[in-house]
Amino acid sequence: MAAAPPVLRVRNLTVEFATDAGIVRAVDDVSFDVAGDETVALVGESGCGKTVTGLSLLRLVPEPPGRYAGGSIELAGRDLLALPGEALPAIRGRDVAMIFQEPMTALNPVFTIGTQMADVLRQHRGLSRSKARAEAAAMLAAVNIPDPDRRLDDYPHQLSGGMRQRVMIAMALSCRPRLLVADEPTTALDVTTQAQVLAEFRRLQQEFRTAVILVTHDLGVVAETCTRAIVMYCGSIVESGPTAELFRHPRHPYTRGLLESVPRVRAERLPELPVIPGRVPDPGRLPAGCRFADRCSRVQSRCRDARPPLQPVGAGVPVSVACFNPW
Amino acid sequence: MPIAQYALRKLLAGIPLVIGVTLVSFALMVYFGPDRTYELLGKNPTEEQIAEVRSQLGYDRPFAERYAGFLREVVTFDFGYAATGEPVATLLARTVPVSLLLILPGFVLGHLVSLGLALLAAYWRGRVADRLIMALATVGMSVSFVIVMIGFQIVFGSSDWLGWFPVRGWSTDSVGEYLRYIAVPTLATMFVAIGYDTRFYRALVAEEMTRDHVRTARAYGIPEARIFTRNILKNCLIPVITRVMFSIPSVAVGGSLLIESYFGIPGVGRATYEAIITGDQPVLKAVVTLTAILFVLVVILNDILYRVVDPRVSLE
Ligand SMILES: Nc1ncnc2c1ncn2[C@@H]1O[C@H](COP(=O)(O)OP(=O)(O)OP(=O)(O)O)[C@@H](O)[C@H]1O
Ligand code: SF4
Ligand SMILES: [Mg+2]
Repeated sequence: MAAAPPVLRVRNLTVEFATDAGIVRAVDDVSFDVAGDETVALVGESGCGKTVTGLSLLRLVPEPPGRYAGGSIELAGRDLLALPGEALPAIRGRDVAMIFQEPMTALNPVFTIGTQMADVLRQHRGLSRSKARAEAAAMLAAVNIPDPDRRLDDYPHQLSGGMRQRVMIAMALSCRPRLLVADEPTTALDVTTQAQVLAEFRRLQQEFRTAVILVTHDLGVVAETCTRAIVMYCGSIVESGPTAELFRHPRHPYTRGLLESVPRVRAERLPELPVIPGRVPDPGRLPAGCRFADRCSRVQSRCRDARPPLQPVGAGVPVSVACFNPW
Repeated sequence: MPIAQYALRKLLAGIPLVIGVTLVSFALMVYFGPDRTYELLGKNPTEEQIAEVRSQLGYDRPFAERYAGFLREVVTFDFGYAATGEPVATLLARTVPVSLLLILPGFVLGHLVSLGLALLAAYWRGRVADRLIMALATVGMSVSFVIVMIGFQIVFGSSDWLGWFPVRGWSTDSVGEYLRYIAVPTLATMFVAIGYDTRFYRALVAEEMTRDHVRTARAYGIPEARIFTRNILKNCLIPVITRVMFSIPSVAVGGSLLIESYFGIPGVGRATYEAIITGDQPVLKAVVTLTAILFVLVVILNDILYRVVDPRVSLE
């Protein structure tokens, strides 16, 4: 697989925040690629840096308090982190778009859906007002919103959460981005709506042939939707590889811990990742060695001395893992 | 419901409010207002003379009857005669337009410039321009209005300084004359307004900047300047409107009173000031009543404007 060239090439991305407790490294030396036809899952516990990674792909981390401390993000051949700030609006929404977790607040309350969608279309595709409106209506129809022409004149508060998230998806796809970052797009919705919106999402990503990074807590969604998964822990990638391989043979003890409870997760549709015993280390005082050591059942003495690097497991298996003693 | 119908309904709903405020202002005038009996009678009047004058003035009638008479005055806009012999209605028709011409430009410009400066300060947050704007605002807020008027009068009016504009007085003979006479009062009003309003508006803008929808706009490539002048501005208009609307009564009464007395401008503020000094009750009654009605109108207009800018406000 992976015949398509990478749309996104992230190398050694490091993002820090200045907080009252000092500098916090939210994303620490993260590298990964996304090819043009892939849907890549980003999973990990709360606070492990998924959203900050996603925002970075649009260079949208608020600066200050945030700071890109190093690395590069190559999107379609250009390094976003090296571009001048003025160049970003032309890229955001056109080359890479983002869908946010909270559909209730992500749209502007005082403009109609049509105005907000047309703004984006006019910005990137230089359409006239009437053309942009027609295109917006077509996009709403594409995400299966009934009566799209009427919906264009609705304000966000007149729509349900599920409808608003569909509007966000329509807006995100309207300029045919190469990459779509979806940050827990269905977490805020009720279970039935979640399933509908996700089905819609899967159908559209195939129709529009967009590369997708899907941040999610739901391992069931990962299994059903994503070709590849990246597991993050404490700001770093601990394991990545094709979903099927990861589910069949999780190598990192953290990944294994998450997956062991998958049947239960899918039966109960837990909104959160399964809980693994132990606590995430305080970002201000990270251990020198492996950050998972305190919670790991396979810990060895060398795990405390050095950090395990993310390395291919070899033997022709396209999986990388950051562990001295993998399964 | 169309907006016109909504406005009409709001206006009708305002009628009891108007009756309420006129009742209160009338009661205050009856119990605390000046009693003209002794003024008219001179020294050592007899009991009969007092009773006669009181009955002429209507002071002996029951409260309800006097209030009804007062309401009739309000509705017919017939407030009787000022101490000078001029009908109060004529006096108002002569002075109110002057005050409006005097106050409105400074009022409107003050809010507009403050809002513009607030947007610029927030856009350049943390930079030199931001600090300069906020320093200017702090000065405007710290210096008393009277000092500002005197200072501007000297700087702009005195021939020793710039000498651009007249020191005091009023003329509407031509547009040019009018602009020359309102220049100093308008600049003084704006200076003080900028002091108070810029700080408030900048805080509004700064808060709106943190909203999720602003991040969405950025994520979709809307340029930063446009985000400020459109996405953020429209969301800020709701609290801005409230501030503008509710400053109308105090500016219309307090502001015009101060400016007109100081610059010798024949507006309703100065007429009120003179009426207070001389105890000219018909004029005061009219001014107090109209101010109360103005306040009610402001509240109603505020509701209607809310509806225009905020789609979440229901029409029902
Ligand atoms: N604006 C900010 N200021 C300071 N620290 C921040 C900021 N945004 C994120 N962080 C820190 O970065 C780390 C990663 O946060 P992030 O939001 O990426 O986590 P996440 O994996 O998306 O978690 P969740 O599953 O809860 O959404 C956290 O420790 C958080 O405290
Ligand atoms: S490196 Fe050691 S401590 Fe860390 S996950 Fe692997 S086995 Fe556990
Ligand atoms: Mg998150």
